Amino acid sequence: MNVAAFLATAAGGEHDITQTPSKFWPEGYELLFGIPASVLVFFLLWKFAGPAVKKGMAARTAKIQAELDAGEAARVDADAEAAQIRTAKGDIAGERARLLAEADTQAAAVLEDGRARLTQELAELDTRAAADIVAAAGRSGDELRAEIARLSSAAVDHVVTGSLDEATHQALIESFIAGVGASK
Amino acid sequence: MSDSRIEGYARGLFEIARAEGTIDEVEDELFRFARSYESSDELRNALSDEQIPASKRQAIVEDLLGGKVTPTTTQLISMVVGSGRSRDLPAIVDKLVARASTAKNLEVAEVRTAVPLTPDQETRLAAALANATGKQVNLKVVVDPSVLGGLVATVGDTVIDGTVRTRIEQLKSRL
Repeated sequence: MNVAAFLATAAGGEHDITQTPSKFWPEGYELLFGIPASVLVFFLLWKFAGPAVKKGMAARTAKIQAELDAGEAARVDADAEAAQIRTAKGDIAGERARLLAEADTQAAAVLEDGRARLTQELAELDTRAAADIVAAAGRSGDELRAEIARLSSAAVDHVVTGSLDEATHQALIESFIAGVGASK
Repeated sequence: MSDSRIEGYARGLFEIARAEGTIDEVEDELFRFARSYESSDELRNALSDEQIPASKRQAIVEDLLGGKVTPTTTQLISMVVGSGRSRDLPAIVDKLVARASTAKNLEVAEVRTAVPLTPDQETRLAAALANATGKQVNLKVVVDPSVLGGLVATVGDTVIDGTVRTRIEQLKSRL
């Protein structure tokens, strides 16, 4: 119904057959044929399309359920794997702690051993050094004394032989005679 | 050479010298020659070299001593050298000197000195040694420059050492 026809109807004019009397309901004969036809159509749809739809829905439901189950299984697996990972992580942490503790123990043992060895080596080195120092001092002292003795001997030879003049010889002879004569 | 043979030579030489009546001079000259023989390598080598004929070695002795010592001393040394006993000459002479000293009831006192002693010093030294040892001594003086100064006297087993060399050795030892 166009605007002009509507306006004419509203103004109390003739009913236009191209127009429905209600804005919401169709014509009565259309309802008469339309409703059974619709029922028939719905029945046919329910009768023939319903199972297929139902089957499809069931399949879809089953598929969704399967997907849900798969998701659940995946979640369970994931949980299990997470638990396993957590366990493994815990094991790793424990192993790490054990390894660290063992390493600490070994390090402490190595440190203690090394310290003891170093202490012993230091003591040995100290003893050896002390002995070397004493020996070197003794050697140096001996060498020094020998050198002093050698130089002194040479000096004595030089001085004595250089100072032995005739008067000294005579004095020595007289001293010897006097000394022998005085002894008995 | 054995001691008995050395003793035999010493006794022979002593008897010859005593028979000649020059035992004191001969003894003293032999003693001095023996000390010179000991201290001189050249003399020792010349008189003990077997390659040199005995006559030549005897000629060396006579050239060396002729006119400086009594003929008896020269002849005795020449005899020892000619018999090839040069090496034993000092020992033979020492035996002879000991024998001569014993004959005079004296003890041999060998004195080594760096410089010669005057007769007065020898007399006083002999008296001092007699006083010290209680024996009359037959003083034999050897001039030995190696003692450097002072004297060393050996009377029998007694040694009285007053040499500079010994004092220096003692000082060196202490140093």
